[in-house]
Amino acid sequence: MDSCYAVDKELEKLCDKYKSANERMQQTLDDFITSVQGYANEINQKPHNEIVSEAVKTTITDFIERAKATNISVGNAHKDLHGSVSKLGKTIDRNFTTDFSAVITEGAFDGEWKQRLLNEVICEHFLRQGMLDIAESLNEDAHLQLPHVRKEPFLELHRILESLRQHILDPALQWAEQNREELNRRKSPLEFKLHRLRFIELIKCGAIKQREVLDYARKLAPFAEEHTKDMQLLMGSLLYLHEGVQNSTYSFLFEESSWVDICDIFTRDACGLLGLSVESPLSVGINAGCKALPPLLSIRQVMQSRQVAGVWSSKEELPVEIDLGQEYRYHSIFACPILRQQSSEQNPPMRLMCGHVISKDALQKLIVGNSNRLISSYSRFKCPYCPVEMTTIDARQIYF
Amino acid sequence: MADVRTLEHSTLKVPYELLNKQFRASQKVIDREVSKLTSSAGDLEKKIQDSALTVSDVTSALSSMVDNLSMLKRKAEESIQEELGATRVIKRRLEHLQERDAYGAKDGPPTLTWQKSRLDRMLVEYFLRAGYYNSALKLAQHSGIEDLTNIQLFMLSKEIEDCLTKGDTKPCLNWCTDNRSKLRKMKSTLEFNIRKHEFIEMVREDKRLDAIKHSRKYFSSVEPNQVADVQRLMGMLAFNSKSPDCPYSELLNSQNWQVLVLQFRQENFKLHQLNSTSVFTATLQAGLSALKTPHCYKDDVNIRNPDCPVCSTNMNELAHALPFAHCSNSKLVCSITGFAMNEHNPPMMLPNGRIYGMQALENMAEDNEGRVVCPKTREIFHVDDLEKVFVM
Ligand SMILES: [Zn+2]
Ligand SMILES: [Zn+2]
Repeated sequence: MDSCYAVDKELEKLCDKYKSANERMQQTLDDFITSVQGYANEINQKPHNEIVSEAVKTTITDFIERAKATNISVGNAHKDLHGSVSKLGKTIDRNFTTDFSAVITEGAFDGEWKQRLLNEVICEHFLRQGMLDIAESLNEDAHLQLPHVRKEPFLELHRILESLRQHILDPALQWAEQNREELNRRKSPLEFKLHRLRFIELIKCGAIKQREVLDYARKLAPFAEEHTKDMQLLMGSLLYLHEGVQNSTYSFLFEESSWVDICDIFTRDACGLLGLSVESPLSVGINAGCKALPPLLSIRQVMQSRQVAGVWSSKEELPVEIDLGQEYRYHSIFACPILRQQSSEQNPPMRLMCGHVISKDALQKLIVGNSNRLISSYSRFKCPYCPVEMTTIDARQIYF
Repeated sequence: MADVRTLEHSTLKVPYELLNKQFRASQKVIDREVSKLTSSAGDLEKKIQDSALTVSDVTSALSSMVDNLSMLKRKAEESIQEELGATRVIKRRLEHLQERDAYGAKDGPPTLTWQKSRLDRMLVEYFLRAGYYNSALKLAQHSGIEDLTNIQLFMLSKEIEDCLTKGDTKPCLNWCTDNRSKLRKMKSTLEFNIRKHEFIEMVREDKRLDAIKHSRKYFSSVEPNQVADVQRLMGMLAFNSKSPDCPYSELLNSQNWQVLVLQFRQENFKLHQLNSTSVFTATLQAGLSALKTPHCYKDDVNIRNPDCPVCSTNMNELAHALPFAHCSNSKLVCSITGFAMNEHNPPMMLPNGRIYGMQALENMAEDNEGRVVCPKTREIFHVDDLEKVFVM
């Protein structure tokens, strides 16, 4: 059963118990108070210094007994709730992982130096998101004294992005002009796309801006060769400048998605030029961890129950393959299909003549298996995946 | 969702412990009122033995009974409302966790927002544990997650810590009294250590008589394993603490208050069922491990990928002691485009043995009259010289 659901059900039960216990207690006390008060009023009619009769004393004795019983029932009514309270606690423990110390590498982040590294990562994460006051606060709390040069790229990135989100183009255009050479080398469409958006803003104003529109079109000319199609569309829209482009077949030019696009393009280019990753490394690391922790914990439990703790303590490699999905793949990993092992410097991938790739160790085993002679460059063998036969020199090391 | 089950225990368990605490406090309040009522009923019982009992005696006795009953009624109501208040905190957090389920595994904008707020929650907790209270408060406020994090609990402990740092032990001792039974179960040495420090302070200030009184009061019935400690302390009385060759100068080092602060912090975590490692640290370790490849540690920086967290300068160092990801199946990524290399984007070999995706190479060839430049070595080849590779 779903963890949250199980706890929720227990919590609902507990609240119901609280409410009914409360009602019962209040009712018992109310009833009792009413009858004591009623009797007190009755007695109060009599002269105040009259000696009371035995009958009155009996009634009072009854009240005393009732008071004792009420005491017990009220005290117990609350005490009895404890069972349900602690059941909620147990349900939480049963449905959620109480301890993940088994999958922690002890001391990996310990020490002042590592703490500092981690805090810097967090600080940059906030800078990147434009949460400047929090970055500043951490800077103080953790005594980071992050130098300004390390903050500057994030601040600039954020300042320009924030303007773009508000449809202000100047800071981004300025940046693109300053970095034109590098952007061109990367074949980035950024500068053109920024001018395009400015042009569209002008078109939006309609015929009164006709002059400016035409002036600006000249500014776009240098981009015409690279962005022919886009340019034709932009110029085509001018046909409708008088009636309003909004109502024409060119209305798609005003779609908000262009602005989302430009933010993406700018972020990618700026990060590339500044040597920053596109996503916050901290977010990526944590989201990967949220995917990795559950399978790691469950394999750990299996290993504990089979008492094979040694596998984990090797610390070299995780005990299980965790597929984080394509978006988390940053490097090519070649695992030899024969040995089921990751390649390494000593055991690199080798491409056979036919194009199939196996590891060097597997290749060696193949040759030894095929011939009992010493291995030479001309030892013959057959590809394990197709009928092609070749000699050792036909296989060559490749680099992913 | 598996991640909710794995990561959110303390999100629910901490407010549960507060509910539990509230329950015990309420029971105490109710018991107190109940015993008041019982004793006044006992008094009345004696009174009615008196043969000369007048009507006014009876009315005043009855009206005080009504007062007692009303008091009990009010206190019971208040207590239960307090406890229901504590359950609402749990409910609020449950609802937030259930939002995650509602969005499912899809990576749409709501999931991203939820994940972002999860990271902020983790960071708030990490800050609180590290004692970065200002940053924690600001972040929680900024992201509107005050009621989803355990700030209240930590702010209470901050007060106690601040006092301890100044050498004021009273709040911490009160805390020990409040949680005595639980601390005993945990075999906590915190209270003993505080008493020890108080003793040392007295010796330092040369208040030897006070020190002896203090030791009689608190050290006469210690656990067997603390006896040696106590004897050592008592030995201090024989030396002049100001003298440079006092053998107890280590004990007299005032830095020791900081040690107590840390011990208090740890025990407070344990008491509230918080792991000694923060969720943030555990998650980041698991994440970095799952992303860590040998490529991230190659000397040739060209091989590193600026988008890979483990390749980034700081994280690279942090991940050093962590295990690598385990990989028994090949996963190929074109280092030019970052796209997967598969049947739609087959891996191609340049004559220098470097492998890139077909898409990237074709695009390059189109722009350069059939020439491709290897980004790693800057060698130039013709697109016709590419060869296929098959990775099983
Ligand atoms: Zn083959
Ligand atoms: Zn990497």
